[in-house]
Amino acid sequence: MIAVRPFPYKPGDHEKEKASNSYLMSLIALIAGLPLPIVNLIATFFFYLGNRNGTYFVRWHCIQALLSQLSLLFMNSYGFWWTISILFRDGQVTNDYIAYMITIAMFNLVDFAATIYTAIQTRKGRHVEWLFYGDLTNRLVRPVR
Amino acid sequence: MGRILIQAFLLIALFFGAYNMFRQVDWVNLFEIRQTADKTEKKLGDMLWTIFRKSDREVKDKLLTQSLDSILVKLCDRNDISKESIKLHILEKDEVNAFALPDGHLIIYTGLIAVCENPEELAGVMAHELAHIELDHVMKKLVKEIGLSVLVSMTTGSGGGEIAREVARTLSSSAFDRKQEKEADIAAVDYMATADIDPKPFGEFLYRLGGKNGRMSEYLSWLSTHPDSRERGEYIIGYAEEKSYEAKPVLGGETWSRIKGELAEE
Repeated sequence: MIAVRPFPYKPGDHEKEKASNSYLMSLIALIAGLPLPIVNLIATFFFYLGNRNGTYFVRWHCIQALLSQLSLLFMNSYGFWWTISILFRDGQVTNDYIAYMITIAMFNLVDFAATIYTAIQTRKGRHVEWLFYGDLTNRLVRPVR
Repeated sequence: MGRILIQAFLLIALFFGAYNMFRQVDWVNLFEIRQTADKTEKKLGDMLWTIFRKSDREVKDKLLTQSLDSILVKLCDRNDISKESIKLHILEKDEVNAFALPDGHLIIYTGLIAVCENPEELAGVMAHELAHIELDHVMKKLVKEIGLSVLVSMTTGSGGGEIAREVARTLSSSAFDRKQEKEADIAAVDYMATADIDPKPFGEFLYRLGGKNGRMSEYLSWLSTHPDSRERGEYIIGYAEEKSYEAKPVLGGETWSRIKGELAEE
């Protein structure tokens, strides 16, 4: 699921910190805006905007952090509105709802752990690529020639 | 690109696989959610019924209670509805109204019985309210309008009496949404046809009430909570014509005359 891959160059200390911060940003925003699933996405997006002219290593990790939040956004939004509809409309907690909430909780937890791990590794200058998101980021982010 | 698509597919499959796996578990029973919901509904029902019982006098007259009970038994028995789950109450009030409360409380005002021209019309109104109970419309409406958290706080003791009165008012004098009303109408016709009670008088009752206006309409609360009565009366009659049933009198003619006589005296 997660692999440490070689990077074209050795990132400097400043780059390592910024790249690592992009993951931390999503974590802090996730905790701060828990009930609203969009907050962490907005936070990582603005962090990316601030660093879009950064070095290849920084941009790469900002995009991976952003993309990983994007799929969580869809899952969590659906869960969020489902909860709202139960609280204010149906009032019926079903097996499907509980199963969905457990599934997204599991995915969020995996994402949470992976984000912490990646933040630590990136801080050490190791280039961590996630399944799917890593390859997608490789297609989106190119080194400046 | 192919590699990315395969990985995307793998993640999506993992998500839905996990979701499907968790769906196999009966969480609602495991966490005793149903029991908790039932307890909340029971407490709410008792609480609201107490409010109505205090504000209006409950009719204990044997003729009325037994007659209405026999209609209810007919509707319940033939439609596999547990009669024990329905608590029928008749309240002495001129207002033309009938409504359902949580936990199967069905309240009928004597004013409504008085405007019914035959027992089938009354059976129709009862079947309609019974349908609201059976289709769980009552709790859905409350959750929608009051909110689940308020309802739970009411039953756990932290809610004030003012909220309870507001809930009582919501249930007795505001409408369900159109979809739920139609569902209840259709179910009522089904219940009546299955119980061999002619559903057409119910449609005629709505149609007739829909035509009332002026001073009289002030008392027709049931009409204001059941809008578009004429239109509904028409489709109930239309739907009833499609059903096959053997119309039998729901109450004896003499019993009905005595009920009307008693109500007129009061």
